[in-house]
Parts: sequence; structure tokens; C-alpha cells
Amino acid sequence: MMPKLRTAVVVAGAALLARRAVRRRIQASPLWPMPSLAEPISGRPRALTVTVSAHEEIADGVVQLRLEGHGLPRWEPGAHLDLVLPSGLVRQYSLCGDPEDASAYTVATRLVGDGRGGSREVHERVRPGTELQVRGPRNRFPLVEAPSYLFVAGGIGITPVLPMLRSLAERDAEWRLLYGGRTRASMPFLEEIEKLDAGRGRVTLVAEDEAGRPDLATWLGGAPKSAAVYCCGPEGLMAAVEERVPRVHLERFAPRAAAGGDVAFEVELRRSGRVVTVPADCTVLDTVRAELPDTAYSCAQGFCGTCRQRVLEGEIDHRDELLTDAERDDSMLICVSRARGDRLVLDL
Amino acid sequence: MSNKQATARGPQPVETERIALKARKVSFSWEDTPLHWVPGDPFTTHTINVLHLLLPAGERWFVHVYKQVLPYIRDERLREDVIGFIGQEAMHSQAHDEVLPHLRELGLDPTPYTAQVDWMFEKLLGDRTLPPGRATRWWLKERVALIAAIEHYTAFLGDWVLNAEELDRRGADPVMLDLLRWHGAEEVEHRSVAFDLFQHIDGGYRRRARTWATAFATLVFLWQRGARFFMENDPTLIDGRASFRDFHLRGRQGLLPSTGAMLRSVPAYLSRTYHPSQEGSTEQAVAYLASSPAAVAAVTAEQGTA
Repeated sequence: MMPKLRTAVVVAGAALLARRAVRRRIQASPLWPMPSLAEPISGRPRALTVTVSAHEEIADGVVQLRLEGHGLPRWEPGAHLDLVLPSGLVRQYSLCGDPEDASAYTVATRLVGDGRGGSREVHERVRPGTELQVRGPRNRFPLVEAPSYLFVAGGIGITPVLPMLRSLAERDAEWRLLYGGRTRASMPFLEEIEKLDAGRGRVTLVAEDEAGRPDLATWLGGAPKSAAVYCCGPEGLMAAVEERVPRVHLERFAPRAAAGGDVAFEVELRRSGRVVTVPADCTVLDTVRAELPDTAYSCAQGFCGTCRQRVLEGEIDHRDELLTDAERDDSMLICVSRARGDRLVLDL
Repeated sequence: MSNKQATARGPQPVETERIALKARKVSFSWEDTPLHWVPGDPFTTHTINVLHLLLPAGERWFVHVYKQVLPYIRDERLREDVIGFIGQEAMHSQAHDEVLPHLRELGLDPTPYTAQVDWMFEKLLGDRTLPPGRATRWWLKERVALIAAIEHYTAFLGDWVLNAEELDRRGADPVMLDLLRWHGAEEVEHRSVAFDLFQHIDGGYRRRARTWATAFATLVFLWQRGARFFMENDPTLIDGRASFRDFHLRGRQGLLPSTGAMLRSVPAYLSRTYHPSQEGSTEQAVAYLASSPAAVAAVTAEQGTA
């Protein structure tokens, strides 16, 4: 009889203690005892809302926008932003303001007459007070550590280079810039660039109407092997620089065929060992499904993520609204996104 | 053996007509939705708000699992249904996800809770490191069965919200009601897909019962915890509490599903002749989708771009 009673008392006491402990634990943290994901996915803002606070023409045909918002993410020189225009078009613009400024982003854009309509919209429909959605910033043109730097910028291609120059000038690093444009009046930021040079002759300005095309061969000829080379500008300029310096860092501010809508490109399906051509009026998904009918897809509008595929090589022109920046580095939604270059390699 | 019998007596769909499932790309603007979107009734508001906590992660998980099942489907029609189902679920997940930043702006940060739900669906129920073959297939079947059980409840709730006229009478926010009813209508519309897929992939009665028990217990656990979380953290309530009594009372008033209906749904799913098409009305769902402001706007926008 006695031992049984004692057991009962001990068990009851233990249960009471356990209950109190659990209660206290719950009071301290009501959502105990489930673990949580370190970087939550749900409820993450997809896009930031910014307001255009200034819209000014800083050179012939070049408009600079100041986009104000709250607590904007920091960025590094070379970064760009996805701007969702009022019509729903998404365009990428390099950031050219102050990276430390968390209250505003600055971008500059040139009006391209035959472009895909993005620049025309920025010039004509976007006004101070317009609210826009932005995504990013992302950087695929980062400033690497190097003993010296060479920059080749063509026209509006100066935008990602400018913050790099500012940061290098602050560190007093060794750099040189070749900046070309059609006319001096059409080349933005000339004054600031001359100020950054501080009269030390590191900047070569070449306006086509005065001096013709820049002499790349001579200018790049004297470059030390260890220098980091950056180029942003028209396709022809970048190709010419890449031919002479294959290690160059390039930034395309528009897919290879920006003018006149989509173009055809090649897709290699590496695991199946096939190569297909995606016609201009056809999606990657349709083309791939003709070869591999089992390829998963669903909404075909770029929001469900079912058709996401890993991209092994090639630059992607992302046109979905779903993928995060990290996911965009090596995957794409093949139902809407296309190639920026003329070739993609998919892990299919 | 048991599942052979089950198929012989057969859970059979009652409707022969089938509709093609199509994802509608909806969008809602939340600027004008107040914190207590059922006026003067924080408990009802927050109990329904728990949907926004569970669905973004949950439906993302559905999509993730179903993508892996696609290669195992040998029935072409079912395959098409599943493809449509995935797109609809993905849109549901995003539509509810967009409510969360709005709640944060109103001073009710859901992140502590959603981070846990994210953990559950991404880690606990995610792709585990399993040897390829039997173990991987078992885990996939188990998850397909879980989704079928959960879809039983989403269809139940969808059917309920389509008929919850009391919410209109209380002046609930029209945008939120449209989100819930658009979602509910699509759930009713595709209510058979998850169950048909489960029958196609496995169909075992024991697995159905076991996963139902897991899903039901987890849903009850998560739901009461979510309602408590919202009530305690609501910045406008001094001593916010959630209790089962409140739930039962609201159920009787028609503001929330009634306890009786919830209990009756249990034997329904566990019946060997159960098929989701026996419950809810496709016509009602399709009729709502034809009049839902968000769904109509989505269809118009798509025709505009096409």
C-alpha cells in the first residue's frame, strides 16, 4: 500500500512540475515549440514601391530619375534595378546614385527611338509623383579587387561605371576611363567625371562628331595584364573590347536584340544531348515540350514556377514575377523568360 | 487487398461532366482593407486570417510535391487536371502571400508565425535525403495522400465561404471576401484532383486514414495557434484571447464554419465510397468565378495580352 501511494505522489508531483515548466515556456514564447525557418519565405515583399521625385534631362536624350522609397536595400557599384513601368513592362537600369543612400535610387536612361518601348515610356509617361515598383538591386557587374582598373564606356553605358569611379576615387586606386559618345552634348555626367579625374589625365573623352570612333587598340594596348577591365556600352563596342581583352567584365543593358521585339536563339538541352532553336514567336517551353513532352509546366504565364529549370550557361532575360534574385542567378521560368544572348544551356 | 476492394466498390465521381482547370492571374489591392475586416469582430477576422498564414507556404508545397509526381501519372486527363491544379494553387499561394505585408503595415507582423509554417513545409515536409527507390516513393505517396486530406478541408472551407452570407450581412470588406470566394470557388472547382491523384498513385485506405488523422490534427493545432497568435498580437486589442467557445458561437451565427459541419466532414472523408465530387457544387463555383471582380479582371487582362 505505502510504496504505491509514494509512487502516485511522486508521479503527480512530477506531472505538476512538468506542467508548470511547459506553461512558463509557452508564456515566454507563445509560438514554442516549433522551429522556424531562418530566412522566412512567406510574406517577403516581392517588389518595393518607389515614387519618382525628380525627372530631369541631364544630357541630350538622357533622362535621370530619382526614385524615393523607405529603407531601400543597399547596393554595390555596378548593380542594376528592375523597374516595373506603368504599362507593366520590366526594364533593367544601372544604378548611378549614392550606394549609401537608403532613401532613394538614381537611374538614367537614354531615349531609344526603335527600342522595345521601355525608354520611350520612361521619357514620356513617367513624371514626378509617379509610383513605380522596383525589384532588386542585383549585381552581375561587380567591382573586383585589382591593382588597377580600365573602364570603357559607350554613351549611356557610363551609368554602372560612374559609381565605380566614385568608389575608386575615394580609395585613391589607380584607374583609367575611355568614354565615348556621339556628341559631347549627348554624354551625361561629363562634369562629374572631370572632377573625379582631378586633372590627372586619367579620362579620355571621345565624341564621335569631333574625333571619330575611339582607337581601342592603342588605348587598351598599354594595359597591364593584372588590370581589371570593365566595359558597358553598345553591342559593337563590347564585342570589340572582348576581342582584344577576353577577360573583360561586360554589362549588357539590353538583351542582345533589344530593337524590334524577340528574336530566335538556340537552347542546348545538355542531359538529353539535344540542341533546339527557339523561334522569335515561340516560348522556350513550347520548343522544349516538342522535344521532351514530359517537361513540367502549368500556368504558362510566369507566376507558378512549375517550369523552372536550371540554366548551366548563357545569360537570361528574366520576364517572370516569381523568382528571387538568388534563384535568378542559375535558373529561369522557361514559359516566359528568354535568352539575353544567342544561346542558353539548360539542365534538361 | 483492402484497396482492391475499395476500388471495386469504387469511390466514383458523381458528375460526369468535367471542366478544364485554368489558372487565373488575379490581383487584389489591399490599401483600403481595415485590420478588422469583419467590422467589430476581431475573432472572426483573425480566425479566417489564419488562412494567410498557412496557405502561402502550404500551397507552395503542394506545387513542389506535385511537380515531382507528374512523371508518375499515366492517365492523360488526370495529368492535365494536375497541371491546371498546380497553376491554380500557385496563384492562391501568392494571392494570400500578398496580404501579409499589408498586415505588417497595420501593425500585426505575421513573420514569427509564418517562419514556423515555412519551416514545417520546407524542412519537415520537404524532400528528405532518402535513398532513391522505395523510400523516396513512399515519402512522395505519403505527401500526396496528405495533400488529398488537406484538399478535403480546403474544398469544405471553399464551399462554406461561397455560402457564408452572414459575412456579407456584417459588412465584411469586399476585397477580402472576393479573395476568399475566388479562392474557395477554385478549390471547389478542382476539389476532385488531389483525391483522384491519390487514388491513381496509391489509393490505399490505410494510408488515407492515417494521413487524414495527421492532417486533421495538424490543421487544428496550427489553426488554434494562429488564431491565438493574431488575437494576442493585435495592436488594437488590450487582452486579446481566442477560445473554442468563441469559435463555436461564431459557427452558430454563420460567421465561421459550424462545429457540427466540421465533425460531419470526418466520417465523410473516411467513408470507403467517398469521392470529393459528392460535396459542393461546381456550378456554384463556376458561377462565382464568372462574377468575381478579380477573376473577371484576370481573364480580361489575359485576353488583352493574348
